[in-house]
Amino acid sequence: MKYVVLAGAALATLAAALLVGPANLPFADLPGSAIVWQLRLPRAVLAFLVGGALGVAGTSLQALVRNPLADPFLLGLSGGAGLGAVAAIALHLPGPWALPLAAFVGAVGAMALVYRLGLMGGAELDPRILLLGGVAVGAFAAAITTALVSLAQATELRNAFLWLWGGFSGASWTTVLVMLAYAPLPLGVLVASARPLDLLALGEEPAQYLGADVRRLKRVVYLAASLLTAAAVAVAGVIGFVGLVVPHLCRLVWGRLHRTLLPTAFLTGGILLAAADTLARTVVAPRELPVGIVTALLGVPVFAFLLRRWTVS
Amino acid sequence: MRRWTVRTHLAGLVALAAVACARGEHAPAAGPAVTDDAGRRVALAVPARRIVSLLPSFTEILFAIGAGHRLVGRTAWCDYPPAALAVPSVGDGIPPNVEAVAARRPDLVVLYRSGQNATAAEQLERLGIRTVLLDLNRLEELAPAARRLGVLTGRTAAGDSLARAMDSLVSQSPESPTPSPVSLVFLVWDNPPIVIGAGSYLDRLAGLAGARNVFHDIAAPSAQVSIETIAARNPDFIAVLSDTAAPPRYAGRPEWRVVPAVRKRRFLFLPGGLFGRPGPRAREAVRELRRRLDTTP
Amino acid sequence: MDRELIVALRGVTCRYPDAARDSLVSVSLELPAGELHAVLGPNGSGKTTLVRAALGLVPLVAGEVEILGRPAHTWSRRALARLVGVLPQREDNLFPQRVRETVLLGRYPHLSLFGGVGATDRAAVDGALAACDAADLADRWLWTLSGGEYQRVRLARALAQEPRLLVLDEPTASLDLRHEMELFELVRTLVDAQGLGVLMITHHVNLAARFADRVLLLSEGRPAGAGAPGDVLTRETVERVFAWPVSITPFEDRPQMTPLRLRKEAR
Repeated sequence: MKYVVLAGAALATLAAALLVGPANLPFADLPGSAIVWQLRLPRAVLAFLVGGALGVAGTSLQALVRNPLADPFLLGLSGGAGLGAVAAIALHLPGPWALPLAAFVGAVGAMALVYRLGLMGGAELDPRILLLGGVAVGAFAAAITTALVSLAQATELRNAFLWLWGGFSGASWTTVLVMLAYAPLPLGVLVASARPLDLLALGEEPAQYLGADVRRLKRVVYLAASLLTAAAVAVAGVIGFVGLVVPHLCRLVWGRLHRTLLPTAFLTGGILLAAADTLARTVVAPRELPVGIVTALLGVPVFAFLLRRWTVS
Repeated sequence: MRRWTVRTHLAGLVALAAVACARGEHAPAAGPAVTDDAGRRVALAVPARRIVSLLPSFTEILFAIGAGHRLVGRTAWCDYPPAALAVPSVGDGIPPNVEAVAARRPDLVVLYRSGQNATAAEQLERLGIRTVLLDLNRLEELAPAARRLGVLTGRTAAGDSLARAMDSLVSQSPESPTPSPVSLVFLVWDNPPIVIGAGSYLDRLAGLAGARNVFHDIAAPSAQVSIETIAARNPDFIAVLSDTAAPPRYAGRPEWRVVPAVRKRRFLFLPGGLFGRPGPRAREAVRELRRRLDTTP
Repeated sequence: MDRELIVALRGVTCRYPDAARDSLVSVSLELPAGELHAVLGPNGSGKTTLVRAALGLVPLVAGEVEILGRPAHTWSRRALARLVGVLPQREDNLFPQRVRETVLLGRYPHLSLFGGVGATDRAAVDGALAACDAADLADRWLWTLSGGEYQRVRLARALAQEPRLLVLDEPTASLDLRHEMELFELVRTLVDAQGLGVLMITHHVNLAARFADRVLLLSEGRPAGAGAPGDVLTRETVERVFAWPVSITPFEDRPQMTPLRLRKEAR
């Protein structure tokens, strides 16, 4: 029954994203409109995919670091992506794909650095080291970014920060296809890790005794979740709160077994982000809010509500 | 004894009065003085002789009112008129390099009013260098700037004359009002799309050139919109600030081609020096814009 | 009758990475099916390390560990989990869960990658809960359980693995008298009725002496005695290992240790 509601909500959100927009198209014109096919549809699909990716990445990372406050961007990825984006603009790299590619490379670079830190001294990706390493790498990247911004021309870089705040204005069928080609592998890896992730919640030693290859599991989950997040940032900037709040919402409704949690987190994340994007496009029309701001504004009250439930139980 | 006391007191009073009068002679009542846009009273003993300008538009104004030869420092961006290039550069000015400015030993530094520049101005004042902070975002702010720079350089008449020319530009109606004016959008960034709204210099130029900014309804000088909104409003032209005529990189992307003007490659490339900020060549900018609107297919 | 050896350690010496000295030195243990072995010793004597070494989690410096006749490191984690059910000292509980759900985790080593939870799995869970006298707790939230109930649930999870060997690391550490006795009785019943092998680490020397078939006494990583409780737990040995004067008195044919107070001279 709950699944039916979820599927219905997904369809409703997609429909709303197609029907609603600043262009105020009459209903009859919609099927043939270039605005719907070239702008609204790829944008809605991309928002859904990115939201789903962030939801799954957040759920996996919370299980990996055994911390309910973990967010995909806690591991330094947003700092790395920001650095990549700003570097691309400061160096005037050519082509429309320079910005997303540079952001992706920056995010992956940050991931590799945190991974390396997590393995230092035989630590084996200890969650605390991952979190601290993520904060350190993120701060380091932010410092370099600030230095670049202060040395280079100001106006273009201000616009880079607007991009970084998150948005789907660059959505096109090309970006959708790239996501569709890229995402299934890390998503598949994470779904296959669903049961071992359930075991990991007991602790690393008990999980090993119940048959989980914990060493391999941690590496695989960290890499897959980070790669998903890096792709999300590359196409849409840094969108916070989705990866943090969606896993908790889904656990409230569906429990904590990852076999159910991961797919529902994908759908819920997709619904939330597609809805947030629709709001971002219409609330202050003709202007547009960056999506990251909408998710933060919506996410904070939801998070407060979840915290209350948490402390009550 | 008492007479001696009285005489001493009297002498003291006379001395004090003399000092007071002497101070009065140095009072800025004789030298040029204005109130700048940060609310500060800027008073000079004599009209400025060694001026550093930290904005290209101020450099242009100073040359236009005949004070260009008094410039001892300019920013790297100040390239008009050509005579300005002979003035030594003190860096790009963002933020101002206080040491480089001070090294030119100016008696007046002209800055654009912003938070960063307010700090630089304060530092220069501590070094004993007078500074003036002026707004220059909108067309309407050209005239007050010209007037005040005229006062501070002793070229009051020239300053007033330039100001009057700017005022008349501001108050004039479009050159040839047409029933359906050409529409355009000023697009300064593509991802996310940032457009120019009402109250900005470019928007005013468009109006004076007889064109309609499709985002005139947005009160802010710049705003983020979606491609869909631009497509829905269907401007005839897309105006970009660019010194070259190369098509922007987003022109080939499929989602941008939903906008008819992108599809038909109807771009207006407006040189940054002339269109980027209000300056004495505003009238020329209007004419140039009108010309391009008429001649671009 | 020679029952099959489930786990055998022979002359095992091992050391943790970056440790200054060996944690175990020349320890041997042979556990056949249907026997309860207790591992005793003071803190830091290597009891938990013994468990980890037996399950191939600590690198060996010397000796060998065999499980069902094969070296321990040749067993995959999953295969080992179908054979050995372990109750470690600590486990985390990150998110609220119900008893039935947590016992079901014990079935995971049996579940295929994309297969679902079947009738055999559910039956195993129910059977495990019943064996641990926890069937009525099945739908309760874990955080509402008492210490004794929680341990029974954890034991049920280990039983749901349908193991041949149970390894319990101080399972009665925080339990009261009644729950402690109940747990020991339960474990003994499982050994006798189902032929499980059980390796139990415990501080409770006296209960170990009464319930275990064999006892291994460790002192600073070395074996201080191995064999029947009556043979190992002599006054001299116990006083030496635990560094405290004791008196040993028999109870139901098993040695019972009573620590003496310092003012009285041990005789």
